Amino acid sequence: MARDMVRRWIVAAVAALLLSAALTGCTKANEEQPEPEPRKEVVRLDYWTPFSGGDNQFMTEMVERFNKEQSEIVVVQTNSRLDDYYTRLRTAILSGNAPDIAIIHTTSMPQFVQNGYIEDVTAAAEQVGLDLSQLNSNIRESTEYNGQSYAVPLDTHALVMYYNKKHLRQAGVLDEATGKPLIEPGEQGFRQFLEQIRQAIPADVAPMAMPSTRIDSVWLWWSLYNQLEGGGIFYNEQGQAAFNNPQALRALAFIDELYKDGLIGANINDSFKLFYDGKAAVLFLGMWGTGAFEKSPELELGVITVPVLYDRPAQWGDSHSLAIPKKHNMTDEKRRAAMLFSKWMVEHGELWAQAGHVPSMTKVVESEAFNRLEYRNDYAAAADYVVYWPRHPKQWSMIEILIAEFERMIYDKQTPEEALRHAQLKVDAALEE
Amino acid sequence: MIKLLRKAVRAFKNQELARKLIWINCLLILVPLAAMGVYTFASFQKAMEKNVGSYQLQTLKQVSLNIDTYMNELDRLTLTPYSYKEIMDFISSEREPGQPLSLEEIESLNRFVSSIFINGRLDIMGVSLYGEKGASYVVLPESQYITTYKLDESADWLKQARSRFGQPTFITTHEVSSTSGMSYQVFSIARELRSFDTGRTLGYIVIDIDPVSVRKLLQQAETSAQEVMYIADAQGQVVIRRDDAQPVLELGALSGQGVLHSSGNQRDKQLVAYVTSEITGWTTISAVPVRELMKDSLVVRNSIALAMLVCIGLAIAVSVIVAYRITLPLRKLSRLMRKVEQGELLVQFPVYSGDEVGRLGHSFNMMVSKLSELGYLLYETEIREKDAQIAALQSQINPHFLYNTLGSISMLAEVADNRDIVTMSNNLGRLLRYSLSNRKENVTLRDELVHVRGYMSIQKIRYEERMHYTEQVPEEALGLLVIPLIVQPIVENAINHGIDKGIGSGNIQLSAALAGNTLTITVEDDGIGLAKEELDALRERMQHSKELGGQSGNGLLNVHRRIVLHYGEAYGLTIESMPYQGLKVMMTLPAQRYSEAR
Repeated sequence: MARDMVRRWIVAAVAALLLSAALTGCTKANEEQPEPEPRKEVVRLDYWTPFSGGDNQFMTEMVERFNKEQSEIVVVQTNSRLDDYYTRLRTAILSGNAPDIAIIHTTSMPQFVQNGYIEDVTAAAEQVGLDLSQLNSNIRESTEYNGQSYAVPLDTHALVMYYNKKHLRQAGVLDEATGKPLIEPGEQGFRQFLEQIRQAIPADVAPMAMPSTRIDSVWLWWSLYNQLEGGGIFYNEQGQAAFNNPQALRALAFIDELYKDGLIGANINDSFKLFYDGKAAVLFLGMWGTGAFEKSPELELGVITVPVLYDRPAQWGDSHSLAIPKKHNMTDEKRRAAMLFSKWMVEHGELWAQAGHVPSMTKVVESEAFNRLEYRNDYAAAADYVVYWPRHPKQWSMIEILIAEFERMIYDKQTPEEALRHAQLKVDAALEE
Repeated sequence: MIKLLRKAVRAFKNQELARKLIWINCLLILVPLAAMGVYTFASFQKAMEKNVGSYQLQTLKQVSLNIDTYMNELDRLTLTPYSYKEIMDFISSEREPGQPLSLEEIESLNRFVSSIFINGRLDIMGVSLYGEKGASYVVLPESQYITTYKLDESADWLKQARSRFGQPTFITTHEVSSTSGMSYQVFSIARELRSFDTGRTLGYIVIDIDPVSVRKLLQQAETSAQEVMYIADAQGQVVIRRDDAQPVLELGALSGQGVLHSSGNQRDKQLVAYVTSEITGWTTISAVPVRELMKDSLVVRNSIALAMLVCIGLAIAVSVIVAYRITLPLRKLSRLMRKVEQGELLVQFPVYSGDEVGRLGHSFNMMVSKLSELGYLLYETEIREKDAQIAALQSQINPHFLYNTLGSISMLAEVADNRDIVTMSNNLGRLLRYSLSNRKENVTLRDELVHVRGYMSIQKIRYEERMHYTEQVPEEALGLLVIPLIVQPIVENAINHGIDKGIGSGNIQLSAALAGNTLTITVEDDGIGLAKEELDALRERMQHSKELGGQSGNGLLNVHRRIVLHYGEAYGLTIESMPYQGLKVMMTLPAQRYSEAR
């Protein structure tokens, strides 16, 4: 009997052992299921840009490099053409679909600062250790409203004069020693300079390229207007348009003559492409073209600041800055990520400088990397003579009025006097709205 | 083969019962369980594959639907020129390539393109208008408009657009370059624009779209990491991939919708689902490695296998135990049987249960007890038979007849005055009476000696005084009780062995001695004696033989057994002899007095 008991115990023990083996087998099988790793969520930033002048490739490279260098933030860039960019951005902000971070020109900033469409980034910058005081004060101040920073300025870009040394050399107006053009002072001197080129180069090459439409002529006018003693006024003290004056007319009339005399090629649409392809001797365009022009095989590039035709140096300028559009679903995480991205962008200004811009960070401008770059040195000082558009919430609309009136002038539908008068009337009307 | 099978069957037949049971159990457990497991898993896998396939197709249909919705939006955008009269005018105008545009044209075209850019989505990269009569207005990413393009009559998209009667045609992903040198991947939608009045084709609108947006739609589908998803055109060329790192399958051109297995080896086999969009004519394809899909089913398979292994292990363990438990009483029974075979009948099989084994055990017990009972009966019958024989022998000789006969002989001898015959017949009569009618258990030694003397007087007459019998018995021994008829056989033996063989002087001496409680009666002769071997054999027989003496009965043996049976092993006969020097038989008996016996 005792033996039976023992046997029964053994049976029970064996059964229990097998059962437990089966159970542990099961749990083990469960453990094999891949558990979701507690990985930190990658922050995705929508980034809108308005680059259309050859600098986008540099921006794209920078974004790619930023994405590669760290793994916490992914920046997704969407580039639109400048013509539609602000319409889109405004619509997006109003409809709550704004990107997480966007490029805004200093000129356009007032309309975004009003009503709080973009965020005050002073505190956020401080949090990620971005010291805004390290930026060029002239540039930084252009993004400050009531002592608060509303964007991180990335660069300054001003109007410069590009020239094709090949054509200038042909016309004998190139100082071979310095590589600079030989231009006599004053309006007459510059006109003479272009005349000489026109006589020396083939007929299909424009002495100077400037599109018949769009903003380019307005930039040149604003630069020349500001070079004149007593010029550069847009609004008077009462806040009304005040640019219909002799100085403004003088500058505009000079430009109009260049068109009328054919020194500026007729019906030019894409002046960038024209100059890029070697079909123009002189081009007035923002600094952003430098990086692209350098790569052109048709081009023997030279760059100087806008020549002083009048009393003092001055050229139109603007700056790109990184701003955070306000939206209800903005999180601290994204805000932080946006500022980290901004910090990286200004600290890597030398990459952006390759496109042609003057970086905003003083340290970068003084750096060897920047100074090694050709041409940029030649116009870096221009940052000091940059004339921004006045700060006005509706400034961009005013400029659009100028563009439209100037286009009509260029297409010979009105005189410079009429253009200025009509523009002033329309600006005043727009101000009334 | 059959031989082998037969051999196996024979080998199986010779196995122990417990092993047989185990083998059969294992077979009964293993085969159905394994078959069931295999069948279950196979059908499960089949069902799963089917479900996964249809689920994949459903997902893909949803993705395809999303893409179609998106494409429909684009499709509507290509209709916008119809609502701009100045645009239609521009397209239908006759122009040289590169002919400058008027300010109004620039404005209206710019407004039109902007409306597409702004009303459309962010992903529109370019808009192009082409007129049959040379007008063109092409806006590429990051570039100003271009008016120098001419329709390339050989372009595929143009041929396609022309053959679709105003329906849009979708152009596979291709590359466009901006003036600043950057190139972009785009796919396009093209539509033929016609005049309602003349019915003639005026020109075409082409919208270039960043494939990223469609890729996003592909990426929205919840899929596993291994799933490959892409869109291919009617020729099987890839339009958009979900991820550029993903491979493209060699499937050729697919159309319609369905699920199929990609060819290839087992490792790379893919489950492919595809749906062709009616809007774009493109086929969205999704492929998942079958291995990946069946990952879950592998877990199931392993669990089934594990559970089966455990079950089988348990079952086998239990069956082993059960088999040994069931055959345990049988083995015990067989051991007992072997004992019985060896003649050991006092065995008992413990019965605990009423089943077949219990009943068998019970029967075994019955059988063994019957067997021993039968043995006893046989023995008893034998004894009874002997008794009957003796009784028959005794009854054959009527003592009274003998006495009367002897009396008649004696009277006749007296008449004839023959003294010897008278003496012999009287003595014989007495002898007979003593030996036949004496039914007493004990007699005195005196009686025994009287009987011996009567016997001797007859023998003296037979041997004509050639022998001498002397008696030397102390007086106190004469009253002791002895078993009847124990002395005469010894004397008879002495005559037979001592005198009959003709050697010796025929002296027979009987003496008795009482020492303590033991009476010793000694009978000596001076006959031929016994050789050593004969003596040893005799002693051996006296020691071990249990037979009570047959007809060949040796008188000595008989007496010895009777004494041993009556008084115990301590008493009996001892024999001493030397060849030619006679035989000496000593009888030891307990000294029993008459009063004690009572």
